[in-house]
Amino acid sequence: MSILVDENTKVLIQGITGTEGSRACREMLLYGTKVVAGVRPGAAGQFIEGVPVYNTVKDALKRHPDINVSLIIVPAGHVKSATEEAIMADIPLINILTEYVPPIDSAYIVALATKHKVRIVGCSSIGIISPGKSKVGSIGSAEIRHVFKPGPIGIISKSGGMTAELAVVLGKYDLGQSTVVGIGADTIPGSDFLDIIKLFEKDKDTKAIVMFGEVGGAGEEIVAEAVKNKKIKKPIVAMIGGKFTHMLPSGTVLGHAGAIVSHGKGGYNSKIKALKEVGILIAKTPEEIPLLLNKILKKKQ
Amino acid sequence: MKLYEHEGADLLEKYGISVPKRQLVTSVDDKFNIPLAVVLKAQVLSGDRKKHGGILFANTSTELNKKIKFLLNKKIKGERVEKILVEEKVKGVKEYYVSFSFSGVLRAPVLAISKKGGSGIDEADIYPINPLLGVSPAFIKHTLLKSKFLNEDIKPLSEIIMNLWKLFLEEKVVLAEINPLIKNSDGSFLACDAKIDYGKRRAVEKMDGDIAIIASGGGASLINIDALLTAGGRPANYAEYSGNPPKEVVEKITREVLSRPNIKACWVVGGTASFTDIYETMKGFLAGLKKIKPKPKFPFIIRRDGPRAQEAQKMLKDFAKKEGYNFHVYGSETPMVETAKMVVDVAYSKKKKLK
Repeated sequence: MSILVDENTKVLIQGITGTEGSRACREMLLYGTKVVAGVRPGAAGQFIEGVPVYNTVKDALKRHPDINVSLIIVPAGHVKSATEEAIMADIPLINILTEYVPPIDSAYIVALATKHKVRIVGCSSIGIISPGKSKVGSIGSAEIRHVFKPGPIGIISKSGGMTAELAVVLGKYDLGQSTVVGIGADTIPGSDFLDIIKLFEKDKDTKAIVMFGEVGGAGEEIVAEAVKNKKIKKPIVAMIGGKFTHMLPSGTVLGHAGAIVSHGKGGYNSKIKALKEVGILIAKTPEEIPLLLNKILKKKQ
Repeated sequence: MKLYEHEGADLLEKYGISVPKRQLVTSVDDKFNIPLAVVLKAQVLSGDRKKHGGILFANTSTELNKKIKFLLNKKIKGERVEKILVEEKVKGVKEYYVSFSFSGVLRAPVLAISKKGGSGIDEADIYPINPLLGVSPAFIKHTLLKSKFLNEDIKPLSEIIMNLWKLFLEEKVVLAEINPLIKNSDGSFLACDAKIDYGKRRAVEKMDGDIAIIASGGGASLINIDALLTAGGRPANYAEYSGNPPKEVVEKITREVLSRPNIKACWVVGGTASFTDIYETMKGFLAGLKKIKPKPKFPFIIRRDGPRAQEAQKMLKDFAKKEGYNFHVYGSETPMVETAKMVVDVAYSKKKKLK
């Protein structure tokens, strides 16, 4: 099994006519993903890579009622309205690739999605891939699609750039993946680590979880809390980037408000401490991740 | 990107929030039109500037000139003072704190307010804002009453907080903070320091070391610089590009990073990319490198992989051979962390030659 995307995934691409939109479309089709429609206001009647384009999400759904994922690749200023359109059409999973979406817009669409029981992954997500089944977004493009192989490891990464690297490193030890999810590293995430870990927890084929985090936010600390409360029982290996960031001129992000609002969470030390306390294994380098995973998987047998 | 205090003050004023009379000084020859006594504030981005001598006072014009001379070009936590904000000295009766920012846990904006503002603040009352509803006058009144502000403060504070919310919303910033918000004896308020942050990181940030870094991917560059420091390297900068940028972006970063003095080695590094065109981005790197004069003699450790990586590797190797650069080119068969050690070795000549 896998989570979020599989053979039954039917994708709509909002922003299909753009450079990155059409490229993602092509790459997804090459991988075998069922891309059934695209949206671009004013471009109805066009075809991109053979996929029909509609003016609105509603029009697309009228012709393709089986759409169950919308991939959003529109300019940052248009993400709010595009996502609102997809939420109002009740598409259950929305994956947003666009970077630099203002957090005030993210907060709005995330609250709206929660109200309508719709799941958002992103913004700034590289995509989602269930190796051998389907992929949504830019993850695993061109020859890189081959580095993702089916297997028992669920990967969640804030960093898009690290998803393929992690698959390569795991591949050296024949550790394939059930699903790899890029959640982005924005201030307001549609899905945080725990939201996705809960899905892996229920997925029979996922035996262990890799969490690639970085300084900022409290997603890693929230996972630690859930493990402590025994809500998550599957083994987790984590790696956190950005130990050095306090050395940067911009390192003390958010001044007083940062400290007051986050109560000291979000820093490298806070994350490592919280994770270690509940027994989550910490990898110091990517190469340590497969070694730790093998240790866990052997113990389970 | 954080704004300097003087830029923040201009922005507050634009949104109808009163700030002290002020003047930006960049040279000892500037003429003054602010009544004495004044406070001199070094315009740097680092915090704690009071502790590091960045805030001075002057009661006479001789004193003012002397202190400007003293403060200009002084270094505060490594940052050179190029501008000074000279401001009328405000003697208030109370210092409050107010800010709008985001809580990642609540996934919502929050209002933070406190009756005890000033530089030592570490606690405030936090009120989450429903992103679908925003901030209303009734919400603000409710929070001020709940935090037990004086009755006479509620009307003027409500107005300031509403204007700050408008700024937060329209400028799409991640932080809008006034600290201290000073209450005068006549009951009026002045915003005496503002921190406004747009949240985006600058593409290149200077650090103190001697290994130039051109990193790809936000997360990968974080663990790579961590690895470099662990290996004993001294990064000269933090620079990162993500997504699939046109080659001009990489060219610009390359030029900026390599034009610094005393570089001992350059490390071009990134994880195995999913959709970054390695050939295009490395073309940008070479275009930037060609413009660096004199031609760098120091070694380059390059570790890139992803779409079109083989073409890119061949181009890099051919270029180095033809133009006489010292390149060491690797792909995903070599762990990123390993190349951190390599660049440290070649930079500080721990090993004469790499295998």
